[in-house]
Amino acid sequence: MNKMIHIKDFSRPGGQLTEIDPAELMPLPPPYDKMEKAPIRQLTDDQRKRMDASLDGIVAIGLTPPATPEEEKAFIEKFLAGLEKLFTVENNWTFLQPLVHTLDYCVKCQVCSDACPTYEASGHQEIYRPTMRPEILRRIISTYIKKENSLLRKFKDSDIDLNWQTLARLAELAYRCTLCRRCAQVCLLGCDNALISREIRKIFSQQMGIAPKEIHEKGSVQQLKVGSSTGMTPAALRNVLEFAEEEIEEKTGRKIKIPVDKKGADMLLIHNAGEFLAWPENLEAFAIILDAAGVDWTISSEITGYDSVNYGVWYDDFQFARVAIRQSQVAKNLSVRKISLGECGHAHKAGIVIADRVLTGDLNIPRESILPLLEDIVLSGKIKLDPSRNNFPVTLHDPCNMVRLMGIVKPQRRILEKICPQFREMTPHGVENYCCGGGSGFAITQSTNFPDWRSAVSGRMKLKQILDAFQDVPGAEIKKYVCAPCSNCKGQFRDMFEYYGVWKKSGILYGGLVELIVNAMVDIEKPFIQWEWH
Amino acid sequence: MPQIELAGKKYEVDEDGFLQELDKWNEEFAQAYAHTEDIEGTLTEEHWKLINYLRNYYQQFGIAPMIRKICKDLGIDMKKLYELFPTGPAKGACKLAGLSKPTGCV
Repeated sequence: MNKMIHIKDFSRPGGQLTEIDPAELMPLPPPYDKMEKAPIRQLTDDQRKRMDASLDGIVAIGLTPPATPEEEKAFIEKFLAGLEKLFTVENNWTFLQPLVHTLDYCVKCQVCSDACPTYEASGHQEIYRPTMRPEILRRIISTYIKKENSLLRKFKDSDIDLNWQTLARLAELAYRCTLCRRCAQVCLLGCDNALISREIRKIFSQQMGIAPKEIHEKGSVQQLKVGSSTGMTPAALRNVLEFAEEEIEEKTGRKIKIPVDKKGADMLLIHNAGEFLAWPENLEAFAIILDAAGVDWTISSEITGYDSVNYGVWYDDFQFARVAIRQSQVAKNLSVRKISLGECGHAHKAGIVIADRVLTGDLNIPRESILPLLEDIVLSGKIKLDPSRNNFPVTLHDPCNMVRLMGIVKPQRRILEKICPQFREMTPHGVENYCCGGGSGFAITQSTNFPDWRSAVSGRMKLKQILDAFQDVPGAEIKKYVCAPCSNCKGQFRDMFEYYGVWKKSGILYGGLVELIVNAMVDIEKPFIQWEWH
Repeated sequence: MPQIELAGKKYEVDEDGFLQELDKWNEEFAQAYAHTEDIEGTLTEEHWKLINYLRNYYQQFGIAPMIRKICKDLGIDMKKLYELFPTGPAKGACKLAGLSKPTGCV
């Protein structure tokens, strides 16, 4: 049994609060019940000296302890100043209302804990309860912001000792929640404990300049500077597109020119740039389908206009606004009628939903998901499809931001029901889906031992769901496909499948939705899905 | 910033061993680093071909090329790529070629 951890333990100097115990992790079906290696790499002694890992031995941020008491004091004051800002309209124009609601109304009934894949898969680690972070925040507010008198605090049990260690652990803990918001969905009182994780990240980033490198420095900062968080410049983009056009011709015999910066096009399609570099077959499939259906579309080669990601939605309102405005300006300059977002979940949330808070006047261009358009194309009969070409077991992963948050549930299903004869659902699915385990930036957080954690813990529930969906065809000799219409989820599946040896053991490939559509196109001779690129 | 000592020289690397000072790269670096990426013995001509290809692309475009492009341009398949660099193209090959770790949703 995992030991009880109390909030006062967070303030304990030194030592590690808890450890991921392989024996406690949620069991996986065979052959995954026996892992050959330790689930999570230990940090080196040198890393332990430089980076704080006192929460659970895992590092997403890796803060360095302060050298002097003065430094520690300044650190705490800065945090408190940032925390105070969260409660003013001017400084929290995004999420003030749900933040206050959640802090005021949660009764800690723990329904959300049962819904949280990280808490469940970890073997019920106390620290991962969705109620843990909000409660720490509530106590800091009671003791240090509202400065409630000690008798009242004792009565409310809201005391907390605030030191550097408390905050270092809280900062890391904010990066143990994938922001999948399954907790918010089941809450009877409408509290959104995942939002609290995001708001804690916001204090650390906006007020203190603390965020995982992959998300900030190499992420949103790089995107605004060179054009994409992948480091892909406009020149590199053109090189990639040339390559994609060559590949399309080789695979399909079709000569397709991918439209770039076409003024006045009906639709600006923005892909997650990960598609360009890691999964070019996705952008190629899009080009083939849109060309065949006669859609008037373009992509942009302007900085930030060809990468739909907006990592700010995970941790920082300023970075969020900068990217959202830039993307909309690109669309405005091209005089397109609408922006359409490709297969990327968080870009849907950022660009379609949250961007409404910053895009005013003529910058508020219509923005939509590409999925309904794909459904129209497939169901209208505009392109001829032969489902027997997809006659292998297929299951569907629901990206949290598209499905739970936005309710885009049916279009992708109606497509798969039409073109995949062996399509089967996971349990649960749709708005009740489980996160891939890579949400909120986890899939791109690649350093130290964090990737191990997201494969072993936060992605564990999803892996179990996938294996269960294919339990009638478990062997590697039968090739199977997890359709994941989201770059971030695909990145998580790639890493997690490699971590567990899923291709070798079970023959499961992951990929997008459009690849399956093109694979079923009657007038394309060769299969489009290439299983050897697992 | 972590450091790594290879063939008697010290290099600044990131937490996962990717070279941070790209101009410090040299062939001794790649050779001395090979064994940590599960490559036995001396780097072969095929290894160098890939390393040089990666470095050229990186100098031109500032990123590592797509795996599919590597395979196509060098006329090798994924299997061969993993035979040459058992820890994979993104980790092993880029690391030896002195490229930064790939970033973003890749």
